[in-house]
Amino acid sequence: MKHLKLFLTIALLLFALTSVGAQDVTTVVWWTESGDEVDDFLIPLLADAFNAEHDDVQLEIIGQESLNDVNRTALQAGAAPDIIQTPGAAFIAEFVDAGQILPMTSLADQYGWKDKLLPWAYNSGVLGGELYSIPITYESMVLFYNKTLFADMGWEPPTSQAEIDAIAAESIANDIFPFTYGNASWQPSNEHLMGIYLNNYAGVENVYLALTGQKSWTDTEFVEATDLLATQLQDGWFSGDLSNYYANTGDDIRYELASGEAAMMQSGTWNFGSIGQFFEEQGTEWDWAPLPSFHEQAGEYNYELATGSTISVNANTENPDAVGKVIDYWLSDPARVLAIAAGAGFGEYVVPIHFTVDDFPAGTDERVARFFADFAAVTGAGRAGYTTWTFWPADANVQLWTDIERVWSGELSTEDYLADHEALWEQARDEGKTLPIPAR
Amino acid sequence: MATVQATAQATGARKVKPNEQKIPLARVLGRWAFMWPILALNLIVIVIPSIAGLGIAFTEWSGYGQPEFIGLANFDRLMQDAVFFKSLSNNIVWTAIFLTIPIFMGLLGAYLLAGIKRGQMIFRVLYFIPFVLASVVNAQVWRFLLHHRVGIGPWLADLGITDILDVALFGKAETALYTVAFVDIWHFWGFLVVIYLAAMSAVDVELYEVARLDGASRFQQFRYVTLPSIRPTIVFTLLMILIWSATVFDYVYILTSGKPAHASEVMGTYLYETAFFRFDAGYAGAIGVVMTLWVALAVGGFVFLRRRGWDV
Repeated sequence: MKHLKLFLTIALLLFALTSVGAQDVTTVVWWTESGDEVDDFLIPLLADAFNAEHDDVQLEIIGQESLNDVNRTALQAGAAPDIIQTPGAAFIAEFVDAGQILPMTSLADQYGWKDKLLPWAYNSGVLGGELYSIPITYESMVLFYNKTLFADMGWEPPTSQAEIDAIAAESIANDIFPFTYGNASWQPSNEHLMGIYLNNYAGVENVYLALTGQKSWTDTEFVEATDLLATQLQDGWFSGDLSNYYANTGDDIRYELASGEAAMMQSGTWNFGSIGQFFEEQGTEWDWAPLPSFHEQAGEYNYELATGSTISVNANTENPDAVGKVIDYWLSDPARVLAIAAGAGFGEYVVPIHFTVDDFPAGTDERVARFFADFAAVTGAGRAGYTTWTFWPADANVQLWTDIERVWSGELSTEDYLADHEALWEQARDEGKTLPIPAR
Repeated sequence: MATVQATAQATGARKVKPNEQKIPLARVLGRWAFMWPILALNLIVIVIPSIAGLGIAFTEWSGYGQPEFIGLANFDRLMQDAVFFKSLSNNIVWTAIFLTIPIFMGLLGAYLLAGIKRGQMIFRVLYFIPFVLASVVNAQVWRFLLHHRVGIGPWLADLGITDILDVALFGKAETALYTVAFVDIWHFWGFLVVIYLAAMSAVDVELYEVARLDGASRFQQFRYVTLPSIRPTIVFTLLMILIWSATVFDYVYILTSGKPAHASEVMGTYLYETAFFRFDAGYAGAIGVVMTLWVALAVGGFVFLRRRGWDV
């Protein structure tokens, strides 16, 4: 009996102690898209580091397959994590409409996020004057090329449409595709090209005017830009034939470029993470150059602004302050951000904060560092374009990359396609579903 | 006894059949106790989502937050949507393909296998394997086999056989839907073989002996003995194909996603794009209602035939 009393007393004390401890620690849960970079870099360099430095808040990062589908179900069930990650800014407007995420403006003011984030990236998360999301990666579109092939052919990266035409003519004469691309892995890849042609042919100023309703998408510049891409695709500039474009996966296009079957690829900087292995296998070398302007009216070359995944605070979280602490920990250390991004090959988790050259980890690929330096200089000078998945409302965006195939097949005229596009923009404006456009 | 019946008739009570016994309440409750888990599961997984899905079709809803009732507006829009009609017509083409080619292949395969006594099981397993493999795996295998650069086509082209398979079959508007259907048939027809073979093995062998004595050829035995005997199984598979053709999604989504230019779009992929890319769950619900009507018509037709005395 005496032993029993002693045992119960100890058990009670232990319970009380652990209960007190548990009450003091707040756990912030964040689901992100699963991948090796999450296990190997994001969790050790962010979650483990944060947890080691904090006793009151602990961060739990969980990788999920098909994150968007999982989040959708969890949000409807009221069981989503504290930090909501979305695939892109277009989703935020829907979440805000549904009242499922909290504004972060007060947290941003408290921690000075407006100064930590690049201005355009901060503004991309502002809706109705409130900050609702923060991009956790950013990217742009560039011209990848097979450096070995270019050296063999005596080519230089093109800086104008005339130079592109010359390389294309010589490529075709030598049974080389001028460009490679495809959308078998991801049908919205169509918008990568459409965005490039709108920005680099019509020019970023005209795109800005159309985005802000001061110009119509049916105007001549946009018609010509759309026609230029359609003509090149129909003429087999991209992987030899439009049908090959539709059948090419992501691996196919990187192989075509690395093997020298194609000379160039207009694509996103997310390829930094994966393109190298294809070139290693082929024993060739890759490089990139800014995408040139396709028309005089577009002025000097630009970089399109693009945010990838975003994070927001779940409206149902019990710990918004703890979430703020976690986010600020990440945004406050450029070296940590770049170490995680380097782990993902600079294809993911490149949080748009201010970097200096010293922040890049030792051994960073010179080509990657060159991109970030030039991107900062060029966009800082105002030559910033607009990617469709960051600045277009959902309906207009989907129409842009689905119906363009009907233009390419000849089923729909460019004029009708752009008229439908303009109508969807007007509808989005009427319904208040447009996304923030950074002022020029 | 006569008095009891007269009283029952006079009061309008149900006539009690002589062999009908009243089941004790405890036993009835006991039966329901065993039934409720599956009923609850059906209620949660099928009935409630179905009713909710029907309701969503009459709303404007992004998939998040509160839906707004808009009456028949989604159906009005559906009637003017060229892409929807393209999808619907592709579903009809798909159905026509699956109601003929795999059925013919399944019957032929089963009939030929039925004549094999040794090693039949090996063939059954071989034919059935594609059916149990995940659609993603099957699709990926055929994506490689039919690849315009590394598949069978370029290999044949090296042998001098060109312009047949050395093109991007999944990327051409003229061939995309049929190529996806081919892959799906490859995975599906073995299932039909096994089903028909099981039905054929149940046919009375004496019927074949009589037919042979009457001088019937193998084809005549198949036509006049086998086919009528397995008719319920054939009708059942036709019904299932009708239903599955309305809801086809996986192979189309994996291999073409409806490309190019909606040439291989079916209602399932269009519904997915509408709900999850355009955030237009209400309109997607209307497409879902059309798919449900298709299935209801198929099942209704089946029930109608049974009531008309068809042995199906």
